[in-house]
Amino acid sequence: MSGQTPSKSERAASRRIAVAFLVSAAGAVGFAVTYGLNGGTQWEGVCLAVAFAGLAVGLAVWSRRLVPVGGYVEEHEGFVPPPAEQAMTAAVFRAPESPTRRWGLLAALGFALTALGVAALFPLRSLLPWDRQRPTRSLKDTPWGPGIRLVDDQGRPLRPDDVPADTMVAVFPEGSIDVGDAPAFAVRLNPERFIRQPAGGHLGGLVVWSLLCTHAGCPVRLYLKGAGRVLCPCHQSSFDLLAGARPIAGPAARPLPGLPIEVGPDGFLRATGDFTAPPGAGFWSRP
Amino acid sequence: MIMGPLARALDDRLRLSPITRRALAKIFPDHWSFMLGEIALYSFIALILTGVYLTFFFDASSADRVYQGSYAPLDGATTSAAYASTVRLSWDVRAGLLIRQTHHWAALAFVAAIVLHLSRIYFTGAFRKPRELNWLIGVTMLALALANGFTGYSMPDDLLSGLGLRIITSVVESIPLVGTWLAALALGGEFPSDEMIPRIFITHVLLVPAILVALISLHLGILVRQKHSQFPGPGRTEHNVVGSRFWPGYTLRTLALFAWVLAVLFALGGLVQINPVWLYGPFAPAESSSPAQPDWYVAWGDGALRLFPPWEFRIGGYLVPAPFFPGVVLGGLSFVALYLWPFIERWCTRDRRPHQLLDRPRNHPVRVGIGVGALTFYVVLVVAAGDDILARLLRVPVYDLLALFRVLVLVLPIVTGVLAFLIARALCRGEAASLGELTRADLRRGARPAPRRPTGEDEPEVPVRHRPGERIELWPQGEVWRWRYRNEAGQLTLTNNRAVTSEEEAVETARLAYPGVDRVVVPGPPPPPARALRVALRRWGRATAAGSLLVAALLGRRRERRRRRDGEDEPPPPEQADAISGGGDPT
Amino acid sequence: MRRPRAVTLPTPHPRRALAVGSVLVLAAGPVALAPAPTPTPTATTPAADRGTQLYLEQCASCHGPQGQGSQRGPSLIGVGPASVDFQLSTGRMPLSQEVPQATRRAPVFSADDISALVGHVASFGGGGPQIPRVAPGDVVSGRALFAANCAPCHGAGGSGAVLTNGWIAPPLYESTATQVAEAVRVGPGLMPAFPSQVLTDRQVNDLTSYVQRLRSERLDRGGNPIGRLGPLAEGLVGWVVVLALLVGAVRWLGRRAGE
Repeated sequence: MSGQTPSKSERAASRRIAVAFLVSAAGAVGFAVTYGLNGGTQWEGVCLAVAFAGLAVGLAVWSRRLVPVGGYVEEHEGFVPPPAEQAMTAAVFRAPESPTRRWGLLAALGFALTALGVAALFPLRSLLPWDRQRPTRSLKDTPWGPGIRLVDDQGRPLRPDDVPADTMVAVFPEGSIDVGDAPAFAVRLNPERFIRQPAGGHLGGLVVWSLLCTHAGCPVRLYLKGAGRVLCPCHQSSFDLLAGARPIAGPAARPLPGLPIEVGPDGFLRATGDFTAPPGAGFWSRP
Repeated sequence: MIMGPLARALDDRLRLSPITRRALAKIFPDHWSFMLGEIALYSFIALILTGVYLTFFFDASSADRVYQGSYAPLDGATTSAAYASTVRLSWDVRAGLLIRQTHHWAALAFVAAIVLHLSRIYFTGAFRKPRELNWLIGVTMLALALANGFTGYSMPDDLLSGLGLRIITSVVESIPLVGTWLAALALGGEFPSDEMIPRIFITHVLLVPAILVALISLHLGILVRQKHSQFPGPGRTEHNVVGSRFWPGYTLRTLALFAWVLAVLFALGGLVQINPVWLYGPFAPAESSSPAQPDWYVAWGDGALRLFPPWEFRIGGYLVPAPFFPGVVLGGLSFVALYLWPFIERWCTRDRRPHQLLDRPRNHPVRVGIGVGALTFYVVLVVAAGDDILARLLRVPVYDLLALFRVLVLVLPIVTGVLAFLIARALCRGEAASLGELTRADLRRGARPAPRRPTGEDEPEVPVRHRPGERIELWPQGEVWRWRYRNEAGQLTLTNNRAVTSEEEAVETARLAYPGVDRVVVPGPPPPPARALRVALRRWGRATAAGSLLVAALLGRRRERRRRRDGEDEPPPPEQADAISGGGDPT
Repeated sequence: MRRPRAVTLPTPHPRRALAVGSVLVLAAGPVALAPAPTPTPTATTPAADRGTQLYLEQCASCHGPQGQGSQRGPSLIGVGPASVDFQLSTGRMPLSQEVPQATRRAPVFSADDISALVGHVASFGGGGPQIPRVAPGDVVSGRALFAANCAPCHGAGGSGAVLTNGWIAPPLYESTATQVAEAVRVGPGLMPAFPSQVLTDRQVNDLTSYVQRLRSERLDRGGNPIGRLGPLAEGLVGWVVVLALLVGAVRWLGRRAGE
C-alpha cells in the first residue's frame, strides 16, 4: 500500500488529516476563549465537540488511509494445558510440605476465618440507627396522634374554614412537616355523594387522607376536583375519594389510610389518632 | 524496535520489550460489532473524567443550605446542601453545566453501549466456552452500571429523584421478611433520612466505580489472554485470529473512536438539556411532579410496576405487596437468567467444546428467537413506563393504553420471538445473504418444521486434502523469521502478526494457526537479498524443516488425540494428512 | 476564575426584568385593561347591548338564555367574571362542537367583546370570583407555591401532563399572567380551585410571576429541553444518538479493507 514515495492519494489523505487536527486545535482554542468570556454551555459544548471531532476524523482517516487494514493472523493456542503441565502443577500442591495436606490445621484455619468473617458482619449493624425504633415499627408509626394539630406547609394551624370545597390542601402534623410518612391532604366533599364512608370519618364533608400512594409511596397530589378522585403521578393509580379512597385503576391495591380529625377547643383542626393504617407502600409485617 | 533512552532504561530494569512486542502485535478482528464494547469503555472513561470534576463542586449532605446565585427562582431559598450545590454547579460554576450534562449523557450512552455489546455477544454465541467467565463479569458490570446510574440520578436530591428513591425504597420494603430491614440498613432509617445522600454519594463515586474499574480490568485481561473470537471466513479457523494488529492500525482506529465518543457526548452535553434539576425543585416529602419517570435503563422496572395488576396477598397474615413481583422478582429473574444463559444453553445443546469462531445469528434460530423475544419484552416495558407521556401525545385515555400494554407485554415478545425464529431459520436454510434478499420460498422453507440440519453443530474442519491452494510460506527476515498463509483460490494472504526468533517457532505457530494446512514453503516469498548469513540460514532452514515439521505433526497428533478424549461423542476431525510429504515439497 | 460570590442580596436585574416583562405581558394581554372592578352593567350602555347580543348568538344555545344551563352546557349563574374571562380569552369557549375537554385556541372574541360578555354573564347574578388583578411578585415564593400546588398536574417544568379519562393538565407556556391567576381562583374543569383562604392575592402574584418565568427559554440553560418531558425523552434522544452517531461511526471504522 505504502511505497517509498507517497502516492497521490496518500498525500491527499495526509492533507485531510492535518486539516482535521487543525480544526481540532481551533475547537480547543475556541473552548478556552468561550470559557474565558463565560460564553455559555452551548458554545462550550460545541467547541469541545469540534475539538474532539477533529481528533476523531484525523485519526480515523489516518487509520484507514495510511495504515493497512487487516491482513494479519495470530495463532490461538487453545486453553487446555498439556497433561504434563497439569500434573506438574498438581504435584506442587501435593508435595509433602504443602499446607494443603494438613487437613486438621486447615479445618481450624477455616473455622478461624469463618469466625472473623461473621464478626466482620457485626459492624454493619451500625448502619441502622441505634436510637430509633425497629424499622417495621417506625413504618407503622407516624407523628400523628391524638391532639396533634393539622398545619399547612408553612406551619400554620388550620381551621375547618381553611379547607373550602373544590380544593386540596396538603396538611402536616404540627412540628413534623419534613417527616416522610406524615403528609396528608384535606378535601371538602359533599357527604351525600359518599358511596362509602371515609375510613377516618369526616367533619361535615371535611376528610383527611394520607397523601402517600399505597402502591409505591408517591404523593397522590393530582386532585380531579369534579370527579372526586386523586391520581398518583408515578404509576397512575387513581383513588375514588367518594368511595373511601378506594383504588379504582392502576397498580395500587389498598385504599388510602384516613386520618380521624376533630375541631379542638381552640377552633383548630386536630387529629384524634394516627392514620387508620400505616401510610404508603406495603411491607411484610403490615397489619 | 527503536526506543528512546527512557524506554531503554525501563526495558533494562523491567524487560518490557518482549511483552510490549507481543501486546502491540495483538490481533483485533476487523468487524464493527467488536467495537461496541469499546463505546461502553470510552463512555466510562468520559464518566470518570467528568465525574471527578463534578465531585469538586457537589456537596453530598442533606443539611440545610441557602442557595445564593444567579438562578433567581431559588435565590435565597433554603434547600439541602446537595440540591443547592447542584444548582450552583449548573448556574454559577463556569462549564459546570456542560460537564454535568455530559456526565449524564455519558451515563445513558454507557448503559446503551453495554446493552448493544451484550446483544452482540449473545446473538453470536461469544459467551460459549471458554468465555463464560467474561460473560458473567459483563453481566455483573451491567448490574453495577444500572446501580450507579440510579444512585447518580438520586444524588442531587431534586423532586424527581426523590420520587424515584421513594419508589425503589418501596420496592425493597416489599421483600418478604427482610425488606424493611434492608431498606433501613441502606438508608440509615426511614425514608427520607439524613444519612441517605452521603451514603448514595460514597456508593456512587467510590464503591461501585472501584468495582467497575476492577472488573473492566479483569474483563480486558481475560480478553487479551483468551484472544478475540472471530466470525468464520476464509483463512479463519478455531485456532487463529485474523484482523488488524493493535499497533499501528487498531491503535489509531480505537483512539479515533475514543475522540468521537467524547465529541458526541460533549455535543449532547452542550446542546441538549438533560435533568434540569433547577426546574424540578428540591425534594419535599409531600410534593410531586408529573410526568415522573426514571432514566431509561431503569424504566423497564418502572414500566413493570405500572403494568403489574394490583395483586397483593397475605401469607400467614403477612403481606406480600404489589411491587414485589414487578420490582424484585422480575429484576431478580432477569439477572439470574442472564447469568445462567451460557450454562442453560450448554445444557440444552450438550455442546462442551471451546469455540473461537462465532456463530452467525441465523445458525441458531432458537437463540435468536429467545433473544429477540426478551429484548421486545424489555422494550415494551420501557415504552410502558412512558404511558402517561404517550397518552398525552396521542390524546388517548391513559388507562386504555395501560390495558393495551398489559396485553402487548405478554403477546408481542412471543410474536417477535417466533418471527425472529422463523426468519433466522429461513436465512439459515436458504441462500439469502441478508434480510433484504429473503424470498418467499425461503420463508416457506423456514416455516416448515423438519430441520435440514441440526442446529448447534459446527461443521468439522475441512481436511487438507479438500482444501487445495492453501499453503504456509516461511522466510527469514534479518535475524528473525516470518510466515504467512496464502489461499490462492480466495486471493487471500494473511501475514503472521509478529516476527519469531527461529524457524522452528515459525513453523510451530503456523501449525497452531492452520492445523490442516501442510504445504509449507521454505523460504517463501518475498525473496530476501542474498547475503552470506541469509544463504546459510536458508540452507540450515531447509535442512531442519522436515525435522521440525515432523515434531510439529507429532504434537498435532497428540493434541488431536486429547481433543478426541475431551470431545465426548463428537466425531474426531479426520486425521491430518501426512506432514512430511507436504513439508518436503518446496514447489 | 470564578466571579466573586455576591454575599449581599443578588443583583436586582433579573427581577427588574421580570417585573418589566410582567407589566408588558399585563399590558399586552387582551383582557387585563378591560374589566372594571365592580362590573355592574346598566342595561342602557352599548357594551351591555353588545354583550346580550353576543351571548344570545354564541352562548345561549348551550348555557340557556338566562345562563341557567341545559343538557349541553352547565349553568353560568355564579361562575364569576374570572371564569368567563378565562374561558373566553383562552379560546376554550365558545365550543364549536361538544368535546370532553376544551383546549386552548385563539380567542374568538375581541377584548371588548369579552368584557361585554363578562358583564352580561355577571348580570345573571350569583357572585363568583372576580377577575384578579395581578402584579409582579416574588419568583422564589412563586416557585415554592408552584411546586406545592401546580407541579403535580402541570409538571415541574410547566409542560403539562395527562390525567385520567383522556383529560390533560395543559402546558402553561401560552397563558398570560391574568389567565393563570383566573385559573387558580376558578379551577376550570377538573382543576382544583384555590380561593383566598388557600392562596392570598400576594401568593397568586408570586405564582403568576413564576409561571411567566417558566415560559422564558432562559430557564433552559442546558440547551434544547426536548419538550421538558423528562428522562424518557432524554433516553430516546440518547439511543438515537448512540445508534446513529456512535454505532454508525463504529460501522465505518470497523470495515475491512476493500469493503
